[in-house]
Amino acid sequence: MIKVSVNGEIKEISENLNIKELIEALDYRTKGFAVAINTTFVAIDSYEETTINNGDMIDILAPVQGG
Amino acid sequence: MTKHMQTDNNTWEIGGKTLSSRLLIGSALYPSPANMEEAIQTSGAQIVTVALRRQAAGEGAGNDFWNIIKSLGIEVLPNTAGCHSAKEAITTAQMAREVFGTNWIKLEVIGDQYNLQPDPFETVKAAEVLIKEGFEVFPYTTDDLVVAKRLADVGCKIIMPWGSMIGSGKGLMNPDNLLAIRKQFPELKLIVDAGIGKPSHAVQAMELGYDAVLLNSAIALAHDPVKMADAFKYAVEAGRLGYESGVMQKREFASASTPTVGRPFWHQNT
Repeated sequence: MIKVSVNGEIKEISENLNIKELIEALDYRTKGFAVAINTTFVAIDSYEETTINNGDMIDILAPVQGG
Repeated sequence: MTKHMQTDNNTWEIGGKTLSSRLLIGSALYPSPANMEEAIQTSGAQIVTVALRRQAAGEGAGNDFWNIIKSLGIEVLPNTAGCHSAKEAITTAQMAREVFGTNWIKLEVIGDQYNLQPDPFETVKAAEVLIKEGFEVFPYTTDDLVVAKRLADVGCKIIMPWGSMIGSGKGLMNPDNLLAIRKQFPELKLIVDAGIGKPSHAVQAMELGYDAVLLNSAIALAHDPVKMADAFKYAVEAGRLGYESGVMQKREFASASTPTVGRPFWHQNT
């Protein structure tokens, strides 16, 4: 197991997960969202080829109201 | 029956779109989602601002909001609100492009938490990168002419100077500065963003020759947001018509408007 931060919350996850597997493991059901790892955007096309590493900071953002 | 004049051509262009409304509206702070939806529709706005925030797993929160916005069928302008560096803003813009399916971005890089004043250095830096990446950048900036020049230099076709601090409702703090930007950049699309508190502020911005105004709190925090949305719709139109009509020159002294010829007898000996 490795420790990562998901939206500021520390979580233990299996090793060698890619982003697609992480999102499924976390049970994200929001339809529209985008992902950044260590403050760098990861495009949806790269989810399967991007492996999560120990200590990664993952941000998953979705639409909200804004001015 | 009164005849209602229309603004020249009745349309304007921004970011590759042809629009009729010159009001851009925010989607935050309304008493309820239903109220937001009705206010946006009543305002006649064809551009609505939205944002991205961390989302909890599970329920799919955020879907309801996004579905309402999509159902309005108007242009979506995502913002980078809350970012404090060019790097953060660039990442947020890239994420917004994927989620919202638009290359439009309201670039907002805050430099001071007290007055939410934009950071001009980071804003220009982010704008340059984003334009190279194909974004249509709507930069939120102060009313500083030189910052506007720097933004134009890196390729911004749109500039959004503040009227006053975000959410303050103070109106146009420095109309002279706003006018200087308008005079110096006739070819750019200029939008007064932030600080507008009441319809007369929007009229004033439009009379200066600004292409549009962007506001949120003034409508959402009104006692009756839907009615206020209607008021702003007319205010923006009135201001634009006023600008296009050509405002009279100010005079130092009084000048009678009623004809002096044919004055009645009691003026004969004066």
